[in-house]
Amino acid sequence: MDFVVQLTINSIIAGSIYTLMALGFNLTYGATKFFNLAHGVMATIAGYTVFYFSSQPLYISIPAGIFAAGLVGYVLDRTIYSPLRKRKASNMVLLVASLGVFTALESLIALKFSSQHQSLPEIFASVPTFNLFGGSFTAIHLLIVASAAVCALGLHALLKYTLFGKAINAVSDDEEVSKIVGINTNRLMGQVFFVGSAIAGVAGILVGFDTVIIPIMGMPLLLKGIIAAIIGGLGSLWGGVLGAFLLGFVENFGIWHISGEWKDVIAFGLLILFLIFRPQGILKKS
Amino acid sequence: MDYIFHLTTLSSIFAILAIGLNLVMGYTGLLSVAHAAFYGIGAYASAILMRSQGMNFFVAMGLGVLLSMGVALLIGLVLSRFDGDYYALASLGFNVIVFGIMLNWEELTRGPLGIPGIGKPKLGDHTIFSNMEYFFFTLFFLIIIYLLARLITRSSFGRTLKGIREDETALQVFGYKTVYFKLAVFVIAAGMAAVAGSLYGSYITYIDPKTFIVMESIMIISMIILGGLANNRGAVIGATFFVLLPELLRFAGFPPDIAAHMRQIVYGVLLILLMMYRPQGLFGEYKL
Amino acid sequence: MSLKTKNLEKHFDGVHAVDHLSIEIKPGVITGILGPNGSGKTTLINVISGIHPIDGGEIAIGSQTFSSIKRHEVPDFDITRTFQNVRVFEQMTVMDNLLVILSSRSVLTSLRQRATPKQLDRAQEVLKKVGLWEKRNSLASKLSYGQRKLLEVGRVLAMDKKINLFDEPFAGMFPEMVKRVSGILQNLKQCGKTIVLIEHNMQLIRELCDYVIVMDAGKLLAQGEPEKVLAQKNVIEAYLGE
Repeated sequence: MDFVVQLTINSIIAGSIYTLMALGFNLTYGATKFFNLAHGVMATIAGYTVFYFSSQPLYISIPAGIFAAGLVGYVLDRTIYSPLRKRKASNMVLLVASLGVFTALESLIALKFSSQHQSLPEIFASVPTFNLFGGSFTAIHLLIVASAAVCALGLHALLKYTLFGKAINAVSDDEEVSKIVGINTNRLMGQVFFVGSAIAGVAGILVGFDTVIIPIMGMPLLLKGIIAAIIGGLGSLWGGVLGAFLLGFVENFGIWHISGEWKDVIAFGLLILFLIFRPQGILKKS
Repeated sequence: MDYIFHLTTLSSIFAILAIGLNLVMGYTGLLSVAHAAFYGIGAYASAILMRSQGMNFFVAMGLGVLLSMGVALLIGLVLSRFDGDYYALASLGFNVIVFGIMLNWEELTRGPLGIPGIGKPKLGDHTIFSNMEYFFFTLFFLIIIYLLARLITRSSFGRTLKGIREDETALQVFGYKTVYFKLAVFVIAAGMAAVAGSLYGSYITYIDPKTFIVMESIMIISMIILGGLANNRGAVIGATFFVLLPELLRFAGFPPDIAAHMRQIVYGVLLILLMMYRPQGLFGEYKL
Repeated sequence: MSLKTKNLEKHFDGVHAVDHLSIEIKPGVITGILGPNGSGKTTLINVISGIHPIDGGEIAIGSQTFSSIKRHEVPDFDITRTFQNVRVFEQMTVMDNLLVILSSRSVLTSLRQRATPKQLDRAQEVLKKVGLWEKRNSLASKLSYGQRKLLEVGRVLAMDKKINLFDEPFAGMFPEMVKRVSGILQNLKQCGKTIVLIEHNMQLIRELCDYVIVMDAGKLLAQGEPEKVLAQKNVIEAYLGE
């Protein structure tokens, strides 16, 4: 029984991390309609920025990390994705270009900080541990779940109640029409990339506090985010959240009787089942 | 000199991989991120058969190719329903799954320990051992695969593949069951990858799952994008460049661990620049 | 061979693009389909050619009736078509665009075959007919818009089917190309083929069509001989109201 509780707790923690990755991915996908494979490396950048500012207090290094991820996302859009879009490049071209960005940035980080893993400074003097119905979790885990909730609700509010959000929705529906009604789509896309990448940065930093940071952490995080986004319904905010938690639960309960090494196999098995039987995801975006 | 043969052998093996994937990606326009999986299946199948059954290299390679094509048929039945981004993602998923099996089915694959002591091919009583001999041995296979690919791409079948790439829906309306063509080319490419896998295992004499990760599939994709999509010669040139690049970086004075990262950075930047300024690659006949 | 639709339906997000449409295309003549933009003309042939699944009703071809048509079966029903928004195989040569239409549909046969002399002759014949023989080695993407439209017509000729659906074949063509294509259409009719022509140019409709069907909002508005139908009050209103 305790075991079931622990697996449930683990599923919720994993689901929260995947939520953070899916939120940003869905946001940029919704606006641009291409699979941005460089999204994962934004998490890595944020983690390493916090590491770089280790000597600074956390209230400086953490915002710096999130800002760095957002800034890199913004610059990538301005310098690479936006010129390609203007040239009406196919989605495949954008996907391959983002793959190049991913490869280059990941190796750049490894070059600067070595390919070994690193630890972030302690966020709590001694990490408090909690017990609930026989399962245990740490304060960092609590922070992960809270951050996912705050980011999801915040993004929801941003999209629903601000002019910025309404513009994004308009662009997601039809970029051409939005241009005609006077939305500066170029500037907007840059902002979308900033926000999306910054949320991925939050995920990277939290993973770093929970475990370690390592240059190759981006790809697995991205893939889980994409799987969550697809099984939830691409481009839908709450669909992505739902997908993230479904993925977290299936992954963690799937390895109940077998070794944990099979986790990735289970995750992609789930993706392929969805692609075959319900390619539009759980929540179809109308 | 020995080292040069080592590099040319590796180039030839990657050229075989690139030629196979180019059929799927360059000619048919399907971004398959599963090529390393079939490379791995060929390598594992022939290594295991040679070690545990004492099988001759050629028989083991043949069975490895058949197994790889069989697995490709099953995976392809699912994959052929997709196109575009979804094809890429689903195929990547299959690469992860095959990698997971190599890593975790320890009774068969020895898991992360890998398989050491893989035998060398024998021609009659003669064992192909030296780097020079192995290079010519590999080159022989490369030539066969190259000619085979040329035959395929110049056939009516090859023309149909291009039609699928250009407009699958239109082609269907003209009476093509495109799924069968997508499936067939995927299976053929998987067979070619398995040939490269057998050659690789027997050459290095050791394999482990890490060689067949998703990143390896991405490397092969980069090779053909650089050399040129839908051009068999471009695939060979791209593969050669990718094997020689780290050597060039080492000659330029970078220590090996830095050279490895530098290589990745160069790959990444090249991909970005190509997409921005030359989406058909250096010698390609197809723009993504 | 006749082509009929019975209560045919197709909707997108609640909009009825084709709304309980029952029409009959008579064999061996040129039938014009006209109507304002968005009246469902292109959707109609997209449904007939399997591009979009049928949402309701049936299609009857000859003596057989169907409530679903798979794309690859379309030529088996003796139907072929052109596309309004040109869909030639851009990064292939003009010659290959035709050879792909003429070659074997079987994987195994096509693997063993290169273009046969018969296929090459036929491709040459068609290319000369549409006036693209000189361009045979250019990539289709290098052709002008009108030339690509001609290539679309060439593919229909190469398919050699009884029922031929042309979706605005004249749009974007120079006068001499228009003349060439209308000659081709008349020629097909003389060979006993059934032709459906979606067209906006009333002059061409009068010249070419034996019968016209007017659609509005997915429904049948009028049908009959061109001169009579084009003079009908509701038809004129439908166009002016656009």
